[in-house]
Amino acid sequence: MDVQQGTLALMILRTLEVLGPLHGYGVARRIEETSKHRLALNYGTLYPALLKLEQEGFVSTEWRQSENNRRAKYYALTAAGRKQLARETREWRQTAELIAAFLAPRPEAP
Amino acid sequence: MRLIRALLARLAGVFTKTQADDDLQAELQSHLEMETAEYLRRGMTPEAARRQALLASGGLTQAAEAVRDQRGLPWLENLATDLRYALRTLRRSPAFTGVVVLTLALGIGANTAIFSVVHGVLLKPLPNRDGDGLLYLRQSADGPGQANISFSVPEVHDLRTGVPSLAGIAEYSPWNLTLQGDNEAVRLDVGLVTGNYFDVMGLSPVLGRLTRPSDDGAGVPPVMVLTHDFWVKRFGGDRAIVGRQVKLDGQSVTVIGVLQPAPFFPDRIDALLNMVVSPHHVSAMMVQNRLHRMTEVVARLIPGATVAQARTEVAAVYARLQRDYPEAYDPASHYRIAVTPFKEALGERARLTLWLLMAAAAFVMIISAANVANLTLMRGVRREHELVVRAALGAGVARLRRLLLVENLVLTLLGAMGGVAIAVVGVRLLISLAARYSPRAGEIRLDGIVLGFTLALSVALALLLSFIASLPREGTFASWISAGVHRMSGSQRKQRLQRGLVVAQVAVSVVLLAGAGLLTRTMIRLSEVDSGLRAEEVFAMDVPLLQLSGGPSGGTDPMAWFRHIMELDVAAKEQYERMRSEIRALPGVNEAGLGSSIPLAASTLTFDVKAEGEALAPGEAVPRADVRTASPEYFRASGIPLLLGREFTSTDGAGSGLVVIVNKTFADKFFPGEDPIGKRIAWTGPLLKLSPISGDWRTIVGVTGNTRDGGLDAEPRATAFMPFTQMLSLGGALVIRADSNAPGLVAAATRIVHRIAPAAPIVKVLTVAQIKDQSVSPRRLNAELVSSFGILALIIAAVGIAGVLAFSVSARTTEIGIRMSLGADRGQVQRMILREGGVLLALGLVLGVAGAFFATGLVRGLLFGVAPRDPTTFIAVALLMLAIGIVACWIPALRASRIDPAIAMRSA
Repeated sequence: MDVQQGTLALMILRTLEVLGPLHGYGVARRIEETSKHRLALNYGTLYPALLKLEQEGFVSTEWRQSENNRRAKYYALTAAGRKQLARETREWRQTAELIAAFLAPRPEAP
Repeated sequence: MRLIRALLARLAGVFTKTQADDDLQAELQSHLEMETAEYLRRGMTPEAARRQALLASGGLTQAAEAVRDQRGLPWLENLATDLRYALRTLRRSPAFTGVVVLTLALGIGANTAIFSVVHGVLLKPLPNRDGDGLLYLRQSADGPGQANISFSVPEVHDLRTGVPSLAGIAEYSPWNLTLQGDNEAVRLDVGLVTGNYFDVMGLSPVLGRLTRPSDDGAGVPPVMVLTHDFWVKRFGGDRAIVGRQVKLDGQSVTVIGVLQPAPFFPDRIDALLNMVVSPHHVSAMMVQNRLHRMTEVVARLIPGATVAQARTEVAAVYARLQRDYPEAYDPASHYRIAVTPFKEALGERARLTLWLLMAAAAFVMIISAANVANLTLMRGVRREHELVVRAALGAGVARLRRLLLVENLVLTLLGAMGGVAIAVVGVRLLISLAARYSPRAGEIRLDGIVLGFTLALSVALALLLSFIASLPREGTFASWISAGVHRMSGSQRKQRLQRGLVVAQVAVSVVLLAGAGLLTRTMIRLSEVDSGLRAEEVFAMDVPLLQLSGGPSGGTDPMAWFRHIMELDVAAKEQYERMRSEIRALPGVNEAGLGSSIPLAASTLTFDVKAEGEALAPGEAVPRADVRTASPEYFRASGIPLLLGREFTSTDGAGSGLVVIVNKTFADKFFPGEDPIGKRIAWTGPLLKLSPISGDWRTIVGVTGNTRDGGLDAEPRATAFMPFTQMLSLGGALVIRADSNAPGLVAAATRIVHRIAPAAPIVKVLTVAQIKDQSVSPRRLNAELVSSFGILALIIAAVGIAGVLAFSVSARTTEIGIRMSLGADRGQVQRMILREGGVLLALGLVLGVAGAFFATGLVRGLLFGVAPRDPTTFIAVALLMLAIGIVACWIPALRASRIDPAIAMRSA
């Protein structure tokens, strides 16, 4: 299953919020696991999305050693990113509620 | 903000490519390694782990491409690539590039230059505040010189009170004043205006103040506002001019301000003054007499009102005036009133000429564009190979189209640059042309709007050129490739298009040439017109001595002012006679005469006239004649032939019987088939009472030939000359005939005039040949411009025909080779190619002649002495086109016949 337009950014931001600074591989793994492997992220989807977030100033990047001693580029949430995450989360919840209300089983006619 | 930040980051991405690319490679590599390590950890073999990781990545190259697109601005980078590629391609075919750029530069240059004039003179908003609300009112009647007779003050008053859709009506009376300088006098063209004038016109001062309603009426000090041009020309833009006193017709007048640059109508002026400067303008005669028409009227619409509304209301008031004052509106002369937006009035003389030139320039553009299109098409065919290869390598149709567009943009923009350079030079020439037709010539600029027009033209051309080239449709590359890259013929569609373009070029050239031919014939006809006098070695000096604005001020007695003028006139006549006799005595002077105005210049004074014993037929318009005066020598000096009777003599003086000499038109009109000598005529009509000229009977003693006083293209008007000594000197002019080298005598004559009348301005000194040329030269410029466009079109069209045929020959080389090896001789091959071109040429000629038949009717107003569908011109143009066309066909035909069949077939 492909990632829905617009939701990937939210997933990435949330992942970075929960796990702290993380490299691209980590982010991809986390999203795949959280989705119970229903989502598969190839590089061509993931990295442009990360770059876009960086360009918008929601994440910052830094090269450093990973836990098993490899050099990797780490992405970290910025203050603006935190705010953006809160905003997008709110909006997403509202949309979800709205859609849920629409799709709710029809009440029995009185 | 967020968007801008992202955009800036991407823009930066364009320039930090290499470093970012390394970074990305490293990042993707590390991801891959971590993933591989994970698979290893799960127990896969190293190969399997790496393979699995690669599979999951979805392709490193694709990923890098996707990130790159996100990083920079892909379209910008592609554009740069395309641009580099386009420049490289164009450099590689310098001949093609050169021809295309030059052709486009000529077309674009002509259009830019002409458009800048059209824009400056006809389209641009007026500099006046809310200039679209300004109206010009014009009263006219039937008869020569009655096209714009202006208004009397009572008429203006009735309009002012009767037209609610007009917010303000201002008066403007053209007048002449002599400005006395330290060592010379200058004749000024001024406007005497009411205090509301500047408010109505929507004009502001750049310095000082303008006149206002408190400057109206008698008993106020006279004040002067300088026009911007005059301020710069005469006072060098001196800012201290405000408050200075100057001497005008002997009075002291204060300069109160300088006006912003603005166009005036009907004529250019130097300054504007309040009415009081001329006693006559505040006199009862001027203010109360309904027939005393010497006031121009401008008006301003109230906000929201339309011109149509104003027209209806003005017409209603005017109809009432005609009912109430029948004596002021002779029904047989058809008095009428017209309301025109001021901007249109300013452009009326230029409009037809300018649109003609614009159309001619547009035609040149069409022809150039057709030529470039043809060249592009041919080149397109030669490039099929390249395009197919590029398509096969993965360039999409959109990408190829964009590449072509960039290439064509480079071409048209280079053409535009050349065009603007041509226009810069051209505009200077055109301004002097426009100045003859429009008071707005000074506003002509190569400004942003004009350059915008040029840019739009170039981009439109580039789009057009890019989209006529056929590109393979998506999914048809294979068929293109299999069609073979050797095929250089181009498709049927393309060939039809090329031929169609050639036909169009020929047709448009014929139309242009027909117009050029008609205008050239007009110019020749006009210069052949007999002006009615011998122009060689004659020059004339306009020396107005009477200064009408001095003297007793206003008041209720018009006769006081007349008496003052008459006194001045006696003194002036003496001075004139001294000038005449001293100039006559100069060595080399053959004859010198005096008259009210210089020969071939229209008289400014026209009166109703009656002949003794001749009654008007009922409903016949009252006949009018131009009033002129002449000394006994005037006709001989001017070279005007005396047809009947005698010249004036020195005995036709102030004391003797009143005599008059009429011209042939006058004699034919009043005394058809009779001997006019000895008959008596008199000036008459209500206007005569407004002048000091008497309505006594005058005996005709002579008849002169006609002269073309209203311009060479106007029919001669009925004119009556009175002896210089029996009449007011009116304007006052000297005519001097020399043995040889008349211009060489000008300086000596000028010195004499200055010595005798130091305070008199010499308005102009012209040889009669120059006066004559004034009516020919604007037409000559017209003819020259349209002719050069026509010749340009002809050359471009000829190149077009030759090019298309040459291309056709090279495409048919094999075929021709086969034909020749099968027995066709050179003549047959030549005829074959000539036939191919001949068909195009014939089609173009037919279409062109048909087009010209329609188009030349539109320029009827610019022609003189030649019919819009003049068969001689049409035949000459068709023959010229045919001759040039055949030569253009011959060159490729000759080349075709020289094809060596053996070589042709081997190379196939």
